[in-house]
Amino acid sequence: MAVVPGLVEQAPGARPRRRTRRRSPFLTALPYLVPSLLIYGYFIVYPMLDSVRLSFYRWSGFRTEEPEFVGLDNYVRLFTQDPVFWKSFGNSVIWVVLSLAIPMLLGLLLALALNRQMVGRSLMRSVIYIPSVFASITVAAMWRWIYNPTLGMVNQLLEAVGLGAWTQTWLGDPKIALYSVFAASVWQAVGFPMVLFLAGLQSVAQELVDAAKVDGANAWQVFRNVTLPALRPTTVVVVILTIINSLKVFDLIVGMTGGGPAQSTQVLALWSYTQSFTNHSFGAGGAVATVLLLLSLCLVIPYMAWSMKGDGK
Amino acid sequence: MLNRRSMVTGAAIGSLALVLVGCSGGDSSEESGGDTEVTVWTLTQEPTQKAAWDALVEGFEEANPGITVVTEERATDPHKDALRQVAGTDAGPDLYRYWGGSGLGGELVDVGMSQDLTEYYEEYGWDEVLTPAALQNATQYGGYHGVPFIQATEAVYYNTALFEQAGITTLPTTYDELVEVAQTLKAAGITPMEFGGTVNWHVMRLLDSLIETMCGADTADELTTGDGDWGAEPCVAEAFTELKTWGDEYLNEGFMAISNDDAAQLFYTGKAAMTIEGDWFGPMAIDGGLAAEDMSLFAFPTGTGRAYGFGELLYLTPNAKNPDAAAKFLDYMVSEEGQGKLGTAFSALSVNASVAPPADAPLGEEWTGVISEATGLFVNNDQNFSTAETTEFWRVQNSVLTGDIDPAEAGEVFQQWRDANQ
Repeated sequence: MAVVPGLVEQAPGARPRRRTRRRSPFLTALPYLVPSLLIYGYFIVYPMLDSVRLSFYRWSGFRTEEPEFVGLDNYVRLFTQDPVFWKSFGNSVIWVVLSLAIPMLLGLLLALALNRQMVGRSLMRSVIYIPSVFASITVAAMWRWIYNPTLGMVNQLLEAVGLGAWTQTWLGDPKIALYSVFAASVWQAVGFPMVLFLAGLQSVAQELVDAAKVDGANAWQVFRNVTLPALRPTTVVVVILTIINSLKVFDLIVGMTGGGPAQSTQVLALWSYTQSFTNHSFGAGGAVATVLLLLSLCLVIPYMAWSMKGDGK
Repeated sequence: MLNRRSMVTGAAIGSLALVLVGCSGGDSSEESGGDTEVTVWTLTQEPTQKAAWDALVEGFEEANPGITVVTEERATDPHKDALRQVAGTDAGPDLYRYWGGSGLGGELVDVGMSQDLTEYYEEYGWDEVLTPAALQNATQYGGYHGVPFIQATEAVYYNTALFEQAGITTLPTTYDELVEVAQTLKAAGITPMEFGGTVNWHVMRLLDSLIETMCGADTADELTTGDGDWGAEPCVAEAFTELKTWGDEYLNEGFMAISNDDAAQLFYTGKAAMTIEGDWFGPMAIDGGLAAEDMSLFAFPTGTGRAYGFGELLYLTPNAKNPDAAAKFLDYMVSEEGQGKLGTAFSALSVNASVAPPADAPLGEEWTGVISEATGLFVNNDQNFSTAETTEFWRVQNSVLTGDIDPAEAGEVFQQWRDANQ
């Protein structure tokens, strides 16, 4: 018997009891949530809001210097006079788009391939996932060597197979440096969506797959009409995590190029850090962080709203 | 159960009592016989540097019974962060090691993190003790801020064997001759000069030297430490044009993509003939495998006669708990005895004018020659500029090298940023 919210279930023949309004689940949970909410508020929400507040001030970060309220000045400078901001903004957007396209798609394909019965399946899953647990700064050091223009594996390999003309200064050429760093990030990141998709694939009902096959569906039609819809909740999680992780990419870039050459691999998270902690312009750093926050919300909220709408159907 | 609870409660009360006793029992200095503590925050030191520093501290404490020097080390960025966090509080040290220059040391002086030491300079007569170049670092902000700890000098290191192999018999005394040397080396199949481009300050040494060369001392000072207009001086375009030429023709292949440590390997292993490095570099090159007899140096032939270098100082904080004891330590540090303890662990040349480099110091004689012939000093621009300015300067420098900014427009681009942000 289903329980209707607000009604108390009664035994047959029992004296009818007065209907009582059931306490809201949120209010019931609130006492348990309060400690976590307080900690979350103090360590996450407050610094975030304070960073937004700071973006309206000019401050060097020294206690001895009073922050000076400058209104929108930091934003005006950012949008009109900062030669790096728009480059970093563009790079962040490129990074998000590429991350949604490449590691996510590769993760899905690998999950589909490694969801089949095959020899060495567990080993391959592990090998692909292992880079995801490496510290990014370690990955950066490793790939910096791989890309070394004279001693690195990539150029030496190209030389060895007669493609010497294709050798590059992978991290030194502003036209390709961002994509070189991104390639390293794909190597590191592809295991994570793969594992999530593998978990999602376990929820695909085999009966539906079998029924579709009995109805004459080919492999693509099964994937398109059965597997993909079943993976929808997983895809929502993967997309949101990918967007958030892409927007806050930092350590891999710091370790491989430091944002160079000539700020060509600069991204918003690193530029915010550079403004605050290298240039000692906490107001400008806060303004970049606020733009990053708004960009994240602009990308994540509409997608979440759209995906939740789909769930309600 | 009750007993156990009682035991736990008793232990907690006992611990609390011990803590309270500890807190109220006076400071540790009183317990150790009335010692006065001088706290010094410094950068993480290499083993040889740590040994030299410890010898300095030990020598001072022996000479000054009752004063203890407590040293705290941090890596560069945490050191900067720690100083920012304690600015304006009592939590800071008595002394801290920091760079000079209006951009780095000057920033801390501006926010009140340094105490004017005029009184101590007069009391101890440090003006008479320090070399003019070292003293310049303390007087550059007005008054006296900090006491010089290191006066580093930079010059062109070269591999004598590679020069000989290329048939170069005389050292360049003009910039044109330096270019000829580079051309000769290149023609002999030798990489003329090495730099690592991922750390911007490594390549910046070449650009700084080119600005000094093309603009002359007065204009260079106007540009770097004064109100000079980078967009209006034709010499700036010449300097950036030369920088681009060096990047395209004479620097190691792919230099923009490698660190200075990786680039230095080319010098250590005899694959590149020159680099611009400081007086700390000689022992590193020998450790890296370059034979001491294969290495020498000459001043970058800027034509102005000025040496190139930078200083680091020990600054006294305004809230120092024991400023007089700290001043005694500073006096010992710059004394002949103190400098003898430091040796060449931090730099080849002493900040004390009467201390000659030890006879066994690598290239000590060559460095003495560079310094004694210098008519003054020009300073690394990352010390001249504010940190934000330096970030933009490096972007312009690297954009010229990658071809994204025309050398003729580089000065104007930099000046536009300065006008908009200052």
